[in-house]
Amino acid sequence: MRSLRELDSTYARTGDHASDIDVGIGHAPAHHGELIQGMFYDGAGQLRRALVTLPDPGRGSRAVFHPSQNHWGIVGTPELIKVRRAAILALREFTTHPSPAKGGQIEITSNVPRGIGMGSSTSDVAATIRAVANYHGVSLSREEVGRLAVLAECASDSVMIDDRVVLFAHRDGVVLETLGHQLPPMIVVGCDTAPGAVVDTLGLQPAEYDDSEVGAFQVLRAALRRAIATDDVALLGRVTTASARINERFLPKPHLDTLLALSERHGGCGIQVAHSGTVAGIIFDARRPEVEDCALRCAAEMVELGLVLTGVIGSDQDAPAAAPAGTAAAVGPAGPPAARVPA
Amino acid sequence: MSIRSSFDEATEAYQVPKLIKLAPNLYAACFTLMKMIPARFIVRRAAADGRLDAGTVIAETTSGTFGLALAMQGVHLDRRVILVSDPVIDERLYRRLTDLGAVVDRVPASAAGTVGGYQAARLTRLAEIRAEHPATFWPDQYGNPDNPRSYASVAELLLECLGQVDCLVGTVGSGGSMCGTTTYLRSVLPECRAIGVDTHRSVLFGHPDGHRELRGMGMSLLPGNIDHRVFDTVHWCSAAAAYAATRQLHQRHALFMGPTSGAAYLVARWWAARNPSALTVVMLPDEGYRYQDTVYDDEWLMAAGHLAEPVPEEPVPVDDPTRPDGGAWTTYDWARRTLPEVLSGSAAPVQGAR
Repeated sequence: MRSLRELDSTYARTGDHASDIDVGIGHAPAHHGELIQGMFYDGAGQLRRALVTLPDPGRGSRAVFHPSQNHWGIVGTPELIKVRRAAILALREFTTHPSPAKGGQIEITSNVPRGIGMGSSTSDVAATIRAVANYHGVSLSREEVGRLAVLAECASDSVMIDDRVVLFAHRDGVVLETLGHQLPPMIVVGCDTAPGAVVDTLGLQPAEYDDSEVGAFQVLRAALRRAIATDDVALLGRVTTASARINERFLPKPHLDTLLALSERHGGCGIQVAHSGTVAGIIFDARRPEVEDCALRCAAEMVELGLVLTGVIGSDQDAPAAAPAGTAAAVGPAGPPAARVPA
Repeated sequence: MSIRSSFDEATEAYQVPKLIKLAPNLYAACFTLMKMIPARFIVRRAAADGRLDAGTVIAETTSGTFGLALAMQGVHLDRRVILVSDPVIDERLYRRLTDLGAVVDRVPASAAGTVGGYQAARLTRLAEIRAEHPATFWPDQYGNPDNPRSYASVAELLLECLGQVDCLVGTVGSGGSMCGTTTYLRSVLPECRAIGVDTHRSVLFGHPDGHRELRGMGMSLLPGNIDHRVFDTVHWCSAAAAYAATRQLHQRHALFMGPTSGAAYLVARWWAARNPSALTVVMLPDEGYRYQDTVYDDEWLMAAGHLAEPVPEEPVPVDDPTRPDGGAWTTYDWARRTLPEVLSGSAAPVQGAR
């Protein structure tokens, strides 16, 4: 059984690249939406928008920074605007380091589907920040990568903080609380609830939660804290289902009730969703007998319903191998890695 | 994964209940002053929204612990607090309130016989006081939706400590604690049962208004904050039964609580014993100090006639929630209906054991 937390986050300085000059390399995993998302109190009693990411260690982005001494700025296509912003931000961050780079190119290799709430741009951005840091020989903390990623793209899931489970203020780039070291052993059967539809996360208005919902979020946070501390997948599933239900007012998922019925029928613990995307998953307790069979039967029924599978997270059978450092990201079920090499 | 820290002020400490195991499947949420939860939430929110400027007077109708909580919060915020109360307000509470700087305005004893009793008279007096002062803030515990909302903090604690709550038992007055806590628990645990404990001749669940010896629960007027659809079952408990249970709570569990806690414990203990696989939580709203000369005094109990009859072993199920004459401890299958639905006799959905 692969641990959900066993993430592809190794990044190394390389010298033996095809080119003569050094490059910087960075990786970041994707996610499969969130466990919860809403508004939560920080230590000072201020309400902040925050979330707990469900990482998808089988997918991710690899960024290679090719420095240039000739021009400032980052060469890239307009679709990678967030990546450009991240690279420029990161370069600025390291201006005090002796470096021949004035600008450069970012080469992204990714197997993360775009526009469905799996963190394609966040993993691109985080990988880019790490690539630039790597080029400068700087080891950034996970929190620093998170802060820079939010600066670059306004809101980021916390895929870069992969050594623990955190409640992350995704618009402020700060960790509100560490909920535990790792998620309980679980398997998530994921699907795209609206195949073909693409959610523009930048264009999405932030949800306006009412007072009762804000109260409920604090309750969900407390329950999730317990679920993670006690490895209670059943409780975790109830919490994520509640968060998905609250989110229906803002970005309703087609087939939500169908998915809940599927979860019940196959012995799942509940559902989780991408709160600003279209993917959703059914959560299973990985310690249950014959859980892999249940998950596979569940996946088969999803396909029959016309939903497109996004994968099975946490299972040995379907999780694509994590990409070793310095190689292109592995091919996942979503198709071949999309090499998007700007200019 | 955080270290323990101090409380910023006394009222912050007062609002945190202690969760104590009474039986393998029965936990008590023990409060020093449960009303601190809504009082603090409502007042701090008003202050944050700019509704509580320096000259603003906090004015409320209360004969009990909500006023005490407001007076304490008034100390922190340096605001005047005027409390409209019954002439029968407990003398110790009165001294404590005035020591905190609160003004206690008592309605005349003659109001007792009028429609709505003291509660109606107090509301009239409150309106007069608010008209006399240029700037007042009325927390309105009976109608302010921030009252039930404030109990999200209790649901948080229960879920973090227990993970599962199959049944919540508590007395009902404003409706804030039971409706708020249950609603928030159900955001994660929709099947959680709610058992409301009322006292005879309280209008909350259909009885006609009348004299009630048991204070701190039950109402003469229907508060806006009660959401009847929350409750699966309702119990009515006499003063004598509540007092006896209060003493048992002390004698068996060393918990020194007031009589409303006793009433809740009476019902919770019975339900938990009958449902051993269900995890039950009972809310115990305040401590026993105010009742040392009464509930905790055998001679007083004897003289007041509370020892005349043995405490019932179990409640008597009733079919008509509007009749207060069913016995010292009665119960009705409310089945999450509205009050009009119940009063019009619309059929209760089939439910499990009470």
